[in-house]
Amino acid sequence: MVLLPDAITSFVSFRKGSMDTRLLKKYAPLYVLITPIIIYFCVFIFYPLSQAFYISIQEFGLLGSSGFVGLDNYYTIFDDSDFLQVIENTIVLSLGITFFGFTLPIIPAIALVEITQMAAKRWFQTLIYLPNLFSWVIIIGIWMTFLSPAGSLNSVLISLGIIDAPILFFANEDYARGMIVFQTVWKDIGYTTVIYFSAILSINTDLYEAAEMDGATVWQKIWNITIPQLYPTMKIVFLITLLGSLRTFDSAYLMSNGLISHKITTLALYVYEQGILEFDLGIANAAGVILLIIAISLALAVQKITRNK
Amino acid sequence: MLNDKKFSLYSLILMALMSVMMLLPLWNVIATAFSTNLDSMKPGLLLWPETFSVEGFEVLFNRLEFWRPFANTMFVTVIGVFLHVFLASVGGYVMAQPNLPGKHFLTGIILLTLTIPSQIIMVPLFIVFKDFHLLNTLTSLIVAELVSGFSILLMRNYFEQIPHSLLEAARIDGASNLTIFFKVYLPLTIPGLITVGLFDVVRKYNMFVKPLIFINDPEKITLQIALKSIVMLDNSTSSSDIVTNNVVAGAIVVALVPLVLFYPYIQKFFIKGAHAGAEKG
Repeated sequence: MVLLPDAITSFVSFRKGSMDTRLLKKYAPLYVLITPIIIYFCVFIFYPLSQAFYISIQEFGLLGSSGFVGLDNYYTIFDDSDFLQVIENTIVLSLGITFFGFTLPIIPAIALVEITQMAAKRWFQTLIYLPNLFSWVIIIGIWMTFLSPAGSLNSVLISLGIIDAPILFFANEDYARGMIVFQTVWKDIGYTTVIYFSAILSINTDLYEAAEMDGATVWQKIWNITIPQLYPTMKIVFLITLLGSLRTFDSAYLMSNGLISHKITTLALYVYEQGILEFDLGIANAAGVILLIIAISLALAVQKITRNK
Repeated sequence: MLNDKKFSLYSLILMALMSVMMLLPLWNVIATAFSTNLDSMKPGLLLWPETFSVEGFEVLFNRLEFWRPFANTMFVTVIGVFLHVFLASVGGYVMAQPNLPGKHFLTGIILLTLTIPSQIIMVPLFIVFKDFHLLNTLTSLIVAELVSGFSILLMRNYFEQIPHSLLEAARIDGASNLTIFFKVYLPLTIPGLITVGLFDVVRKYNMFVKPLIFINDPEKITLQIALKSIVMLDNSTSSSDIVTNNVVAGAIVVALVPLVLFYPYIQKFFIKGAHAGAEKG
């Protein structure tokens, strides 16, 4: 998604290039090598993508297409209040994940740079990066164990007298979205911290020395040097987090249960439910195309806004 | 950099707290896994097993046959990663050739594959796999991520670092493209092959949506799906009566073992990758 404008530029500049038969002969073996890969992409990515568009404007049943219906599938889903709820879920979750996922890691990144004990610094990096490797099943499994009604956290809170009855973290609709945002940030914070950490290390130290001579406090240095110097990295992290969050599937799928799924069913999960479970292919693909349009327009909008600055 | 002793101390405390936040739930799961069936169900803070026990693991392997999905995942990961790295390096080799006519066009295709979220093509992809009679096979999982634009571009970056003069010298000596690829390029890009391979090991090991969609046969389910059935207490296995908390925790711990074993290498290459990413930004 990030790369779309680059892809377009590549195609445009190709037309300007010239072909020469002698060169073609020299490079023929290379084309033979890359052809199977291009065929693979055509069969397993581009063909399914074109099918997604095609099916979305068809009446599609178990036996295949039974005719062109134009935008009927799109009208049908936009008339469906469930679908509007799905759009709301996707937007709210996306905003939450993006906001916390791109701002919070700045704090540990700044802290990591200031730690002078090298061994501690390495250990902290190792520990906070670890959850990034875990699958969503493992992440949810770990937190379900820790936060279950008879689990460690509820038991401690009850014995301290802070709560009377266990908090149902995974079965209360008020917590559902928060739990997804929290677990996503927990999973990704180590990765993003490392990115910010190396960006801070590449800031010119003269800036800090000059500020020191002017008598700047620690907070002034962070606010007036570190943060502005991080802007370019923050833009990239923002875009990657935003586009990733729009694809939220695994966490929502795994957390879904009768009590909370209406709050956390995302567009990606809706595509799966309609297409794979209900086999309502026209509706599923219309939803998929809408997701693609949202993702591409957001990517282009963000790139346009950040490039102008 | 800020040069402030007090702030450095606060940083240390903050990071220590954050590390506890990362470690505590994980530790809780490990302690639960090594508790008895009964202890694991009791309410209370569980940070050390009251009585050390492997009951949970026994249920997991003897009654739930957890080794089977584990073996399936290993099969898909080993063969899949090998093919993925091979194809990514072939693609990277071609893309690294300077002056290759049509290179921009090929780059365009590869970048385009990266812009398409997999969830959008999930349903048509399911039909494609059905038409190829690949549903309910482990082969489907190898085919599904046979090569990726991301890995090709990563390999290309490694190949491009090889001095061009070396390639020309080999050409003058009459070496064919294949000889150059196997004898000159691959040996010089071992770190690249390892990085692409490790990325793919984690991706294949954690693969979730594709096995969820493509595989129904209980004999062929993969680790993440088996883990899902246990964690979510999927009643389809008719074993919910024997799945106590220590069995759930045990399954999580077993699934974590390969990742933790690989972690030192993963960290070395991944964190380097993240650093490189930041520098480019």
